[in-house]
Amino acid sequence: MDLEDEVKKVYRWIAKIGNLGLRVLWYILHFVVRICYFAHGTARVLESYLISCGLLKKYKDLNLRNLQYLAIVVESEEAYQTPKVIELLQWLATIGVKHVCLYDMEGVLKKSEEAILEKLSNATLFKVAGENDSLLDKEHIILEFASLTDGKEAVAKAANLLFLKYFKSGNLGGDEEEPIFTEPRVAEAIGAIGCPGPDPDLLLVYGPARCHLGFPPWRIRYTEIVHMGPLKSMKYGSLIKAIYKFTTVHQNYGT
Amino acid sequence: MLSLQFPLLQIINTLSSKPKLLSPNLHNAHLSSRINPHETTSKLPLRATAQDVAVNRTVAGAGSSAEEAVLPDGLRRELMPKHVAVIMDGNRRWAKVRGLPVRAGYEAGLRSLRGLVELCCKWGIRVLTVFAFSCDNWSRPKVEIDFLMSLFEKGVEEDLESFVREEIRISVIGDFSKLPKTLQELISDAEETTKNNSQLQLIVAVSYSGKYDIVQACQSIALKVKNSLIEPKDIDESLIEQELETNCTEFPYPDLLIRTSGELRVSNFLLWQLSYTELFFLQSLWPDFGEAEFLEALCSFQQRQRRYGGHGL
Repeated sequence: MDLEDEVKKVYRWIAKIGNLGLRVLWYILHFVVRICYFAHGTARVLESYLISCGLLKKYKDLNLRNLQYLAIVVESEEAYQTPKVIELLQWLATIGVKHVCLYDMEGVLKKSEEAILEKLSNATLFKVAGENDSLLDKEHIILEFASLTDGKEAVAKAANLLFLKYFKSGNLGGDEEEPIFTEPRVAEAIGAIGCPGPDPDLLLVYGPARCHLGFPPWRIRYTEIVHMGPLKSMKYGSLIKAIYKFTTVHQNYGT
Repeated sequence: MLSLQFPLLQIINTLSSKPKLLSPNLHNAHLSSRINPHETTSKLPLRATAQDVAVNRTVAGAGSSAEEAVLPDGLRRELMPKHVAVIMDGNRRWAKVRGLPVRAGYEAGLRSLRGLVELCCKWGIRVLTVFAFSCDNWSRPKVEIDFLMSLFEKGVEEDLESFVREEIRISVIGDFSKLPKTLQELISDAEETTKNNSQLQLIVAVSYSGKYDIVQACQSIALKVKNSLIEPKDIDESLIEQELETNCTEFPYPDLLIRTSGELRVSNFLLWQLSYTELFFLQSLWPDFGEAEFLEALCSFQQRQRRYGGHGL
């Protein structure tokens, strides 16, 4: 019995020491992971700083041939930070981006359109610039402002436009060979109601949620979508890096 | 970039939220699955991994099965997405990297899909939509397309019994007209057989295009207008939404979209439905997607401050 008790006692001590050892190991591991995370975050900040200073060669001369149209989605609460939006647009103009679509759900950016255009001496509205290629040669940026009304609502209006057109002609059911509603016709109708912007090649999302917040669904079929974090924390280096990464992407469009 | 997840993030969150000590074997297995997401965990049978995690048992809510939902440590029941969508990208690259024929990649991809379906059932996801074949994919080599069609047929035939057993409802969306007749019949049969199942709805998008989905919705509405069921002036967004192909489910809007292989785009998938969907892009290729990767996506989803632009859905 004494031997048995002794064995049990020893076993209990081993279990206690083992448990303590595991707990220490747990906290060491926790600490190591925290250090790794801290190091990773610091490295990112440092990289962003080096990119901003132009010290990293590969980010210096960006080939923007494939970036014909850039979209920026801003969360509506952050969209009130007009100085930040203007700063972002100035960065984009410096980088050489020519066409930018600014989107927020509630149309805050649309309301700030005048203030933004006033601050940016080299910006023109998309609907004013139209096909004016001469603006593309200068350090000019062409802006489009969009909101939720240009998204799903616009598709519904376009559909309505087509309905009325074919309703009048009495051909809503369509011929067997030619359906009434086709992608080109819907696209044309969307353009006709005043939402003519092309599909963005790259869409940058500024905000806490990693979603595009209702950006016109018809226009994001093959758009690269990158979440940049909150607008208040935006960094020039991160912007350059996102655009650089886009320039290295190869799309096969499903083939 | 912020759009790509650092694999150790989940370890931090787990350590922060649950500092309790597990037994040695359970603890090490749990951590190793997080540190090496592309290794052993995805190959472990689910029964083994279920034993390796702390169990968060809750009773399922109203409208679902009365069985207990078992969640891994770190996931909160109330923050689980109801509808998860997946773009299963990277099968060909996976095969190429291993010097295997393309078909091996697709077969491995099918295994990953089966694993994901099992996880969704286990963790109480209500709807899983997967992008199996895009309209744009029809331009791929005929040999590859024929193999894919036969793989779809084989998948449906082999898994129908388990769908019935596991109470999984299968729905297929897309332009069926281009699919082989035999596959079309199989799909119809499978949909009919499983239409009353309620554990999980698996929506497979085959020959699907997000733009086509919107166009066919408009065409359906046009026919209703022609038949005087609705007036042209009644046409609005909600009417279009009701006619989209995802009207086959109670939860048509994905809460979370996962795309594998590191591509950062939706490639014409559920364009209308993804407005407020959390986008999660993973570097790993689809055949390597397993429990660890899914857990990573779900943890990220639960952490992220989810705001629908101020509008609730």
